[in-house]
Order: sequence, then structure tokens, then C-alpha cells
Amino acid sequence: MIPLRIKVETNADRPYVVRLRSLEAEAWDSAPTLHPSEAALKHAGPDAADYAGEGGRLRVLGIDPSKVDGDVLLVNPSRGTADRLIRSSSQHNTFLVTERCDQVCLMCSQPPKKHHFDLFPYFETAALLAPEHATIGISGGEPTLFKTELFRFLQRVLEARPDISFHVLTNGQHFDEEDLNALSHIDLGRVVWGIPLYSSDAGVHDEIVGKEGAHAQLLRNLALMCRLGAQIELRTVLMRPNADGLPGLARVIGSTLPFIRTWAVMQMENIGFGRMNWKSLFFDSSEGFELVGRSIDFVRSRGIDAWLYNFPLCTVPPEYRHLAPATISDWKRAYRVECEGCSLKEACGGFFEWHPRDHGYSRLGAVQ
Amino acid sequence: MNIWPLRFRELSNGSTLFADDAGGFFRSGQGFLSRYATDDLTAADVAFLREGNHGFDCEFDLSWTSFAYRWARRQSKPQNLSYAILVPTLRCNLTCGYCQVSRAPENSRGFDWSEETLAGVLAFLSGLDGPDVKIEFQGGEPLLRIDLLEAVRDYCRGRFSNTQFVVCTNLQALDARAWAFLDAEDTFISTSFDGDRTTHERQRTHSADATDAFFQNLEAAVSRYPAGKISALPTVDVAKPPDFHALLDNFERYGIRSVYLRPINYQGFARKLDQGDNVLVRWNRLHSEFIELLIARNYQTGQFMEEYYFVQCLKRVLRLDADNHVDIRNPNFFAADYVVIDHDGKFYPTDEARMLSRIGRVDLSIGDVAAGIDRAKVALLNSGASNHFDPDCIHCVYQPFCGTDVIDDISRYGRIDVARRDTWFCGRQLSIFDKVFEILYRQDKPTRASVAAWLGVNSWSADMAPVHS
Ligand code: SF4
Ligand code: SF4
Repeated sequence: MIPLRIKVETNADRPYVVRLRSLEAEAWDSAPTLHPSEAALKHAGPDAADYAGEGGRLRVLGIDPSKVDGDVLLVNPSRGTADRLIRSSSQHNTFLVTERCDQVCLMCSQPPKKHHFDLFPYFETAALLAPEHATIGISGGEPTLFKTELFRFLQRVLEARPDISFHVLTNGQHFDEEDLNALSHIDLGRVVWGIPLYSSDAGVHDEIVGKEGAHAQLLRNLALMCRLGAQIELRTVLMRPNADGLPGLARVIGSTLPFIRTWAVMQMENIGFGRMNWKSLFFDSSEGFELVGRSIDFVRSRGIDAWLYNFPLCTVPPEYRHLAPATISDWKRAYRVECEGCSLKEACGGFFEWHPRDHGYSRLGAVQ
Repeated sequence: MNIWPLRFRELSNGSTLFADDAGGFFRSGQGFLSRYATDDLTAADVAFLREGNHGFDCEFDLSWTSFAYRWARRQSKPQNLSYAILVPTLRCNLTCGYCQVSRAPENSRGFDWSEETLAGVLAFLSGLDGPDVKIEFQGGEPLLRIDLLEAVRDYCRGRFSNTQFVVCTNLQALDARAWAFLDAEDTFISTSFDGDRTTHERQRTHSADATDAFFQNLEAAVSRYPAGKISALPTVDVAKPPDFHALLDNFERYGIRSVYLRPINYQGFARKLDQGDNVLVRWNRLHSEFIELLIARNYQTGQFMEEYYFVQCLKRVLRLDADNHVDIRNPNFFAADYVVIDHDGKFYPTDEARMLSRIGRVDLSIGDVAAGIDRAKVALLNSGASNHFDPDCIHCVYQPFCGTDVIDDISRYGRIDVARRDTWFCGRQLSIFDKVFEILYRQDKPTRASVAAWLGVNSWSADMAPVHS
């Protein structure tokens, strides 16, 4: 697994954002100009690497400087750690805005916590230092619980950096008419909102997210998003309670939600509440793929994009594999002993690193 | 729930097809029809209509909003002018039976662009917005003036970042310079191939030698270029259709899986051809038979071929964005995204309009490269470019999927206000959409396999098209 938090020593006294630069390739005598938020590599030893920049000195421990070149760190001096907010070599950089949430989804991978620190000022600095054409994920908890800050952050970064875009994971509960003005200042062509909808049946959806009235609220807000022209990735985690309803949901997407940009049918993540409730929730799609395939086909026949996220390729019938991109983020991804010698490994996203050994799929294994 | 108005039409199997203004459709029966007409819907009716989004509770709720969205997406939106059909010469080295008037003999004079016309064409192209441009070279036989083709292509490559060129050629005579021109990756070939050797020779080449030359060049092009580089269109004489089996075998052999079956064009010399009585009925029957043949053949071979226009109509029914073909575009504004420039530098809204004007029946030119596009005349043509207010179309269940063809109306009837149901265009559209809905609801495996392939999905089952019992 790729470490997202690394050990550091610094002479700073408060947290700050810094981009590391190795500058190896560049000639020293041409005196590369450093951004005020950058630190350049001065010395690399076997256990530590020393950086210096306007923000002061920074010693990075236990990781090869070549692996963190271009990374944007949030340095926490008192703890002696730094969070790699942006890993320059990765397509999967996500800012965790808050751990608070107003829903308690049965399979939540990141169960909500009460406390909240406002990190938006750091995120803004970090986003401005992101590599060209980066897509940055915004996640939680529920980011729109802090929507004033979030909208302002999006507006400012998108204005300053015309090349980058955002993917925001939200439960879609907190938009309202009053936000139309703030949202109209955001370049919505560069923001995709990942919004979960589990069922066309309000009871099933509300049960899964643990909040009465959530379904009705979500539908109201989807109408609002449609009027705004927002780009929506509708996300449906496939589980036992909603699997049978998938074809019905597909029909409603065709008739009532045709404005979404993508429908993502997703396999479950075995962590957080997902681990606790695994036995009652996990749906073996390697056995029951027919209803998944039919639902995807229905939606695609209506000209709406539909994809399978987090499905190990060998559990998907060959004719659907091109619809199952490797979506598990690089730092969470792992393969199993069964994967040895598999010809699909390159294209396959494998498993979440914490997926149990008894993986639950009745059909799985290397494809020759 | 407020229910959006539903139109309906009896299908051949006795059931009734319903559709709302935004193209939401379903099949039901007389029972539902009379309950709907007498405002006596059951709870089950209402639940079904709700799931299909045929109604709403209040303005701006999700149902209302997505209905508005669906309606809006089905309208063709204003587009950039980015596509030009150029006729650098009217001269041709063939004399196809139905093309007499839109060509000139190979050795005649005065049918090519002059220096000034070329300059005017380039000046016109320079004014397009970009960054994409598509140029189609028509004729006559455009390769007779390869120098003009080269001049246009060189200019466009310098002016636009994305260029695509299509040469509509009869593939009769290709010298080294022509091959070199066609070799370029941004250049594509569109040719006419009437399905089988006998038909092609009868309709086009008129001699065994010329037919041999065509087939040799076609084979050479197919082996030289990747799939997708060459497209071919058969023109069908209703009175003497080609052997469709042979046609499909031949097209498949040349790696062309999409066949656009066109009846002989009514414009041009073809007006004078006697195709017998009831051409429309016979054409529709022929086309329907062709679809059946495709379905059976696809299932048998496992290699899926399609009829281009039929698949466009099929997608138009199910999807909101499928109006690539102008005949199902609504509104179908002229000189909006493409324009034709004739051998004398005159603009026309379509190639049919150009041919129609050549026979002197009506002048449908809309300006020329010297004076620019005559927007007043375009506006006049555009007044008939939508089916929204047509007194017949507004009652037609296919209106959300259908379009208009003003030029065809003028060509056949000399006017644009003929009762829609009496036009060739409507007769063909009705028949095609009847066929589309017939196959969407068919349960047999061969049909389902072809529908899935044509829609680009893995499976299609009849329950994917809504039914209310
Ligand atoms: S065996 Fe492993 S690598 Fe191969 S498809 Fe299955 S999960 Fe992916
Ligand atoms: S042209 Fe004919 S088929 Fe098309 S909408 Fe009008 S009446 Fe219907």
C-alpha cells in the first residue's frame, strides 16, 4: 500500500502546505526559481532527505525522495507528520473535507465522527499547487455540511486554475434554492458530483442511508442540479437489500434521471460499517450478474453512460469487462493469490487492500 | 399527478403505442386508451405513468424538470458551421442513369471552379469558427480536379486544428496522385456500390471493362486501408432492386458493415425515370424486407451488419441525442452546421437543393462565395424546418422522433404546404418508425440480438421497451 502520511521533522511552529521538488534534472547553476510554497531537495541520505524553501527546513523520513517529488504535503509540526494531499504521480488525490455526516449508511467505509477541523485554507493552497490538468477528489464525511466554504473553495480554485477539475462525493442532501447564486459562480463544467442513489424505492434507500426522508430530499435536489446543468455521477453500491431493485432503478434513470452524466454500479468496500455488516450486505455479483448486466444495458440503450466500479474483472462476464475500469485507487489496491498469472491483471483494479481473504465471490480466479 | 398529453397509434399487432411530447413511449391496449380518454385511470395506471415519467406533481419537481430536460434534448440545437460539401467540378467519367443532370461530360468546359471561385471558397472557409472542420468533396467526379482538392486540403490543414476530408468518388480511375491524396490519415473515401455486379454495371458503369476497373480499385483500396476508411452507398431502383443477399455478402467482404440503402433520388435526371406505380409502398416493403433479412443473417453469421438510416431512427426513439441524420433532426435548420458549394461558387442548403436547382424547377441557391450566405432566403426555408406546428405531425405519435424535409417536398410537389400525410417523406418515416417499434417489442432471439448490436449493448430483451397491461 502507498503511504499517505509520512514522518517529518521541521523547524516550523504551525501547520503549512509545501510542494517538494527534487530538481535533479535541472542544472543548479541556472538557479531554478522556487514558488514560495515549495521546498527543494538539498541532501538525500539513506533514511532521510532534507528540503529547504521559504517556509523553512524540512526533513522527510523513511521515503525515497524520488517517490515524493512534486508531492504537495500538509505538514503538521507538532505531530511530526505530513499528509500527502497531492501525490504528483497519482490520478487519485482526494481532500477529506470533514468526517461529519448526517447519514449513517449501512456500508459506509468512513463512518462519521463528530469533530471537525476546517482545513479549507490548506486545501486551497494545495489545489493551486496541483500538477497540470489534475482532477482532485473532494470527500468526507459529507463535504456539503460546510457548503459555504466548499463553494467558495471551488469557485476560487477553478478561477485561478483553468486546467484542473474536481470530483465531489456528496450525499446530495444539502443543496437548496438559496445555493443557486453561489453555484452559478462555479464553473460547473469542471465539477462532477458523485451522488449515491440506492433504489427507486424510497423505503429501501432511506433504510440504507439511515435517514428518513433522504430519498425525497435527494430527488428534489437532483432536480435542482439538473436545472443548474451540474454533472452528476449517480452511484449505486450494489448490496443484498437493493440488488433486486436494480432493474427498477435503471428504468427510473432512463425515464426520470436522463440528465446524469454517468451511472456507476459499485461493488462494496469491506471496511468501516461495510466490514461490520458484510455478511448481510455483500452481494455476490459473480453469481447474480444477470440483473446487473440487464440494468446496465437498459441504461446504455437510452444513451446514458453506465459503468461498473470496483468489480474484479474475472467476476464480470467477458462481454461486460470493457465497462469495468480499474477504479480502486492505487493506494488502496491489492491483488490476491488467485490473481497470480492472470492475463487481466493490467486492466483489473483488483481488490481493496482490506478485502477479506474469504472474498465472497463464488467465481473468481486468474483468467488465462 | 398531472399527466402530459399522450398521442397514440395502433400498431400492426393490434396493440396501441403511446408517446408523450418528450418521446417517452409505451405500449398498451384499448382498455387503457379508453380510461385515459375518459379520465378514469386506475391506481395501477397512475403508478405506471409515474415510473415512466409521463406526469408531474408540481412545477420544478424532479418529474417536471426531467420531462423538460428530455424535451429540450430532443430538439436539435444551434450548431457551428463546420462542414462543407464542395463540388469543385461537375464533370464525371461515368454516366449513371439517374445522375444525368447533376453531371457534365468529362471533356466539357465551364463546369469547374475558376481561380476566383477557389479563392472565394478558401476565403469562406477561413471565416468558419473552427477548431474542427469537415470537408466532403462531391461532383461530378472530384478526383478529376485533384489540384483543387489538394489546394483546399492544404489550406484547411493550416487553418484548423482538426480536419477531416471525405472524397466521394466513383473509384473508376485512380492514378498515383489520387492514391497519394487518399493515403492521408485525415482523408476518407465514400463511394457508390449498387450491391452486385450486374446491378452496378446496369446502373453505373455500363461496360464490363469499366466494372472491372471499379472492382479492382475497390479491392485495392480495401486491402490498402484500415477498416472505417471506406464507406459505400448503394442506390436502389425500386423497379429492379439488387439481390440483397449478394449485396450484404459483398459489403461484408469489403469490410463495410453499415449499409445505407437509398432509393433512387427523385431529383436530377431520376425524376424522368419511370419507377412504376406506388413507388412509396413498394420502397417501404423493400426496406422492411431488407431489415428482416439483416436480422436473420446477423443471427446466422454472428457478424452484425446494419442499415444505417434504420439504426439512426432506432436510436432516435430510445435516446435523446441521436439526431445525426438530418431527416430526424427537429428543427432542421438550413445552412446551420453545413452548406454546399457548387462548381460555380453558389451556396445551397443541401445537395438535393443543388440538384433540384440545376433542373431549373426552382432556384434554391442561398448566395455565393462572392456575396456570402443569403440569410433572408435561409430564413424563408427555415420557416418550414420544424414539425412542431404541422397540423398532421402534432397528432402523430412519432413527432418527437421525426423531422422534416422541406427540400424533398419542394422537389416532389413544388411547395412546402402539402398535407404532411400525403408526402413521400411522411410515408417513409411512418413506415420506418412502425418497423422500429415492431422490432423493439419483438421477443424472438434473432431480433433481440440485432437490436442489441445496433444499440451497442450486450443484451436487449423485449421488457426493455415499456408495456402497460
Ligand atoms: S484474478 Fe485477480 S487480477 Fe485477475 S481478474 Fe480476477 S481479481 Fe483481477
Ligand atoms: S412527418 Fe409523418 S411520421 Fe413524421 S411526425 Fe409528421 S406525421 Fe408523423
